[in-house]
Amino acid sequence: MPAELVRYENATKLYPGADQPAVEGLSLEVAAGEICVLVGPSGCGKTTAMRMVNRMVEPSAGDVFIGDESVRDRDRARLRREIGYVIQQVGLFPHRTIAENVATVPRLLGWDRERTGARVPELFDLVGLDPGLAGRYPVQLSGGQQQRVGVARALAADPLVMLMDEPFGAIDPINRERLQNEFLRLQAEIKKTVLFVTHDIDEAIKMGDRIAVMRTGGHLAQYATPAELLMAPADGFVEDFVGADRALKRLALMRVRDVDLWEAPLAFPGQSSAEVRQKLDGAEVPHPLLVDADRRPLGWLSERDLARDIVPARAGNSAEPVLDCDDVMRDALADLLRAGSQYAPVVEPPGRVTGVLSVEIISEFLASPDARTDEHSPAERPQ
Amino acid sequence: MTDVALLLAQVEIRDRSGPPSCQQANDFFCPGWVAENYDRYVDPVLQHLVLVGTSVAAGFAIAFALALLAHRIHWLAAPLLAVTGVLYTVPSIAFFFLLLPITGLGRTTAIIALTAFTLQILFRNIVTGLANVPPEVRDAGRGMGLTERQLLWRAELPLALPEIFAGLRIATVSTVALATLAVFVSGGGLGVPIYEQLTFKTNVIFAGGLCIAIAMAFDLALVTAQRAVTPWLRVTT
Repeated sequence: MPAELVRYENATKLYPGADQPAVEGLSLEVAAGEICVLVGPSGCGKTTAMRMVNRMVEPSAGDVFIGDESVRDRDRARLRREIGYVIQQVGLFPHRTIAENVATVPRLLGWDRERTGARVPELFDLVGLDPGLAGRYPVQLSGGQQQRVGVARALAADPLVMLMDEPFGAIDPINRERLQNEFLRLQAEIKKTVLFVTHDIDEAIKMGDRIAVMRTGGHLAQYATPAELLMAPADGFVEDFVGADRALKRLALMRVRDVDLWEAPLAFPGQSSAEVRQKLDGAEVPHPLLVDADRRPLGWLSERDLARDIVPARAGNSAEPVLDCDDVMRDALADLLRAGSQYAPVVEPPGRVTGVLSVEIISEFLASPDARTDEHSPAERPQ
Repeated sequence: MTDVALLLAQVEIRDRSGPPSCQQANDFFCPGWVAENYDRYVDPVLQHLVLVGTSVAAGFAIAFALALLAHRIHWLAAPLLAVTGVLYTVPSIAFFFLLLPITGLGRTTAIIALTAFTLQILFRNIVTGLANVPPEVRDAGRGMGLTERQLLWRAELPLALPEIFAGLRIATVSTVALATLAVFVSGGGLGVPIYEQLTFKTNVIFAGGLCIAIAMAFDLALVTAQRAVTPWLRVTT
């Protein structure tokens, strides 16, 4: 599937009558196949910047390129048919059925009935829409379903670039999270160049390969990967925008495998208790972890379990929660807190124990210099 | 000649003999008279249909063109609304007589006045319908690469249909009533039999009833047409 890079060159937009440009001197390159999130407070020009790509907004100065070609050299309507366009209010045609809505751009491109007819079910499948909805009208669909149709419609003619303006902003939190995850899964498959506008920094961190933080007046404050943004905000504005809890946010970007785990004192059924006790000396975990022959966790052994000479086949305490090394750190912490436990075994496929993650490891990580957020004294902050 | 005289004599004899007939007493409504005389209404009804149909069709064509112009060039909307508003407010009778020196007696004069009358209603409704198209539909349409013309014909006009039909219904029904005045410029229509025997109740009531029937028939046709062309408004959510 095709994708092209998008490059802003000193792009500026001054609306007639405005005393300040909406976007000023924006230079930015979005690599082909990446999601670039434009984020910032309202009035920062993020939507204006996005709309320059399909010429819904014409730059007053500077230029925008898709690949090597300036968008100014393209006929507007033809250009837009090559660019997927998703907006917060969806904007489905109320008088057209879902299938007809999805087929809008193929029709504009003059695809024959056969080709369009084959493409529509593919798109339903791609975005997880029930094919039974094909003949319905938009008003009959929920908000989440409508935005799925919006995404399917934008992808219909396999565009080079996708523009998404707060696509999940009007959807309830539970469905928003689901749609975000589905879109990320979809993107892993289709690898489009995506410009994604949001005012929600958490969404930006979740969705973006790179994040462009914009500030009022249409200035680019920082352009970086989510991790860089959280570790090293360029200035006080970005730091404030990212939020005081940016260390916590970093947990959302990390997986359990990314930190140094504690070694688990393993015990096998039938092993001598003395041998197990020896392992506990100097270990960070106070209890041995009973595992089966394939090193799958069975439970934590208590003092009473070790009273006998030989390790029993069942442990007094459950091994739950068992974490996967691919779990997102934030979720792992949530699991620990929910279970009220200080530590939990971590497994890797197909279920072998690789170590132990503890609340202590996480809190040490949060306290480490590269994760600290409150290091700057107020005087150090650029005004 | 003798036959006629004989007939008249018979009528007089009969009239003198019994109690006065329904027709003579000028009762509220005489079905018997209608049954014998309905054929004299056939031509006026057909003329009425032509008057209304032609005026509304011409009015719609002009209002549609003006509305598209106002839709394209926004500052034109207010002055156009004002002009059509004046045409709407001028009393039709006055309009008829103003036109007389220019277009003379006849159907044309009547149709011009009636057309002018429909403009305001139709123009305002088409403009309102186009203005009520959700902005996100326009934005998404343009963003997907519809040209302005495609946007108009594929999205804006279909979505304006409910208001357009509402305008057509009001314009048609009121034109059915107004067209009875066409008689003053010799324009034909149901005004002709009404003014011929203005004091004969049965005549006035029957001709008036025909007007109502025509109005209802037009309205029913328009409602049916609207339902047929706006299936998305009938779905259950």
